[in-house]
Amino acid sequence: MADTQLSVTDLQVRFPTDRGVVEALNGVSFDLEKGQMLGIVGESGSGKSVTAKTLMNLLPRTAEIDGEVIFEGEDVRAVARERRKHFWGVKMTMVFQDPMTSLNPVKRCGEQIAETLRYHLGHGRKMALRGATDLLGQVGVPEPAKRVHQYPHELSGGLRQRVVIAMALACEPSLLIADEPTTAVDVTVQKHILDLLDRLRREREMSMILITHDLGVARGRCDDVAVMYAGRIVERSATETLFNESRHPYTDALLRSIPHIDQPSHTRLDPIPGRPPEMINPPVRCAYAPRCRHAREDCLTSIPTMGGVTGVHEFACHHPANTDRGDAALAANVAVGVTPAGLHLTAGAGSE
Amino acid sequence: MTRFMINKVAQLLLVLLAVTFLSFSALNLLGDPLFNVVGPLAELDCDAVEAGLIEDTTTTLNNQVGDCEIVAEARAVYRLDEPVMKRYVLWLGDLISGDLGTSFKNDLPVTEILKDKFPVSIMLMVMAEIVALGLAIPLGIYAAYRANHRADRILSVGSFGVLSIPNFALGVILLYLFALKWQIFPATHDDSSFFAEMKSLSLPAITLGAGLAATYQRLLRTDLLTTLQEDFVHMARAKGMTDSHIMWRHALRPSLFSIITVFGVNTGALIGGSLVVEQIFSIPGVGRELVQAVIRDDFPVVLGGVVVIASGFVVINFVVDLLYSWLDPRVRTT
Ligand SMILES: Nc1ncnc2c1ncn2[C@@H]1O[C@H](COP(=O)(O)OP(=O)(O)OP(=O)(O)O)[C@@H](O)[C@H]1O
Ligand SMILES: [Mg+2]
Repeated sequence: MADTQLSVTDLQVRFPTDRGVVEALNGVSFDLEKGQMLGIVGESGSGKSVTAKTLMNLLPRTAEIDGEVIFEGEDVRAVARERRKHFWGVKMTMVFQDPMTSLNPVKRCGEQIAETLRYHLGHGRKMALRGATDLLGQVGVPEPAKRVHQYPHELSGGLRQRVVIAMALACEPSLLIADEPTTAVDVTVQKHILDLLDRLRREREMSMILITHDLGVARGRCDDVAVMYAGRIVERSATETLFNESRHPYTDALLRSIPHIDQPSHTRLDPIPGRPPEMINPPVRCAYAPRCRHAREDCLTSIPTMGGVTGVHEFACHHPANTDRGDAALAANVAVGVTPAGLHLTAGAGSE
Repeated sequence: MTRFMINKVAQLLLVLLAVTFLSFSALNLLGDPLFNVVGPLAELDCDAVEAGLIEDTTTTLNNQVGDCEIVAEARAVYRLDEPVMKRYVLWLGDLISGDLGTSFKNDLPVTEILKDKFPVSIMLMVMAEIVALGLAIPLGIYAAYRANHRADRILSVGSFGVLSIPNFALGVILLYLFALKWQIFPATHDDSSFFAEMKSLSLPAITLGAGLAATYQRLLRTDLLTTLQEDFVHMARAKGMTDSHIMWRHALRPSLFSIITVFGVNTGALIGGSLVVEQIFSIPGVGRELVQAVIRDDFPVVLGGVVVIASGFVVINFVVDLLYSWLDPRVRTT
């Protein structure tokens, strides 16, 4: 196995709120190898952004965090405690969803990129501005010398996201986290941005975590994919394996909700029937059970742990899809027309 | 940008024109302008005096100038025999060249009377703003850092406490404690040197600035809390910047809009407040002079003071407008 760059073990994040404690992450574990691209896919509220923010030390101070994050041999949470400078922004950076709001509206684009260079690398004003111009060129912004003097509102969404990317890449980080980098830009621009990210990470031998709603986006680009549900990773494997041999019924449902799997699409995933799981005081059961066509009695009394082949294809399910055990569970549910959790299986939903 | 500036300046000139016209109208259209200038003398029938029918009721101090001569001079200086619009235009011309007319109560040009009064008042107001901003910016930032913690709550209660004390009450308390009882600051105005003047304006400036500081602090705290939720602040944190760098370099500037707006709008209240504070602390400023001018029915002085103050208010709000566009480049294109 190649060098592990990032290793996340049993990450738990809770937010105390007025309504109760939100259990946002419940034991997230994954490894990322140097130069690899990991896709994190899941419905809204599944904990993708919280995972990214934990890595980036961006959670509010009220958040309770447990678990271990090791990045290039360093304990990231210790770095945060020691308020070490030149770690985030230099080794690990992040690009956010909305380029309209992730740039400071009152500062020129060049200034915002140059700021990173000055702050971390100690460049002088002139040198930093030249660096910013170079970076804009590298991310495919036309006329970079002119753009550095423009304000964010003078640029289109696509260009702004390129500026954000240039900003994130300024100090040549070894890990870039992109949290839904294309949901807020035009469909026509999405592919350009994703291709750019892919090209840059190959050129710079940078690792990347790509967070997305869209399995189609992950397919063409990610080496591995982790599927999240209710604060847990429920299935993780190499991308092609996931597409061809999905085991978790949730992954299965995600795949089926893409109209044409063979053509990478950019449509948002259709919501899967049923309500998203309760994050405050969740009952002890598989969080997906109420929406799952495979659910049996055991799914309602115990939380499935990660099984499968460690490090190759893991999934957390008592009755995995496309296995004998899973098929039997599904057949039994279809026979009575309803799962033990009370989900009615219509004929259409029951047969493939 | 230049187009933007041309628009702004044109706006400024229009407003100034309106302000001067309104002030001029107060003197010339409300009541008899001659009466406004010379007071009861206006009722003297000078034609009759000239014809020798009645005696000149000369009441001036040394009786060297006849009342009818004063009235004639006032008529000439204020061009009372010309039509109103022509008078306005000529008066405006004088105003622009720095001539505010003559006071017929103490026989001095109005500019002469107000000349030394403005610097003191302006210094007082500038010091009040410095006190206000000097307190509000650090405290506002601190409160935003510690939002909803104890320090923030204490500041919030303190702010509302300060806001609930009227200017004059605070002034009297400060005067009593710091000038009379402990004698840390002088009780009378002292302009023997710049430093001495600053020192004697300190209590008045604090009196004027305290309420402003409380207002500014609350506004800044609220705006900062909003700004700190913005994505670009998260982005700055993701770039590895420290909290204080983010606060000063990213969050502060976009959070100044409310303060700036209130700064402009509140200038009027500040001028009003300084009028009271100048009385309490016996500061020889414009406010005091205007109050005295009103008492002695010296309309030209009142008019001169009002025109200058109103124009100052307009100009300050013009500067505030420019500050917006400096703070937020998006304003320039709209
Ligand atoms: N600061 C917070 N306080 C309380 N709850 C939070 C906080 N941040 C996130 N959460 C909760 O944690 C859960 C996971 O949120 P997260 O933002 O990670 O979802 P996501 O997978 O990124 O969804 P999306 O696709 O909508 O971005 C949600 O239920 C959310 O309400
Ligand atoms: Mg998210």
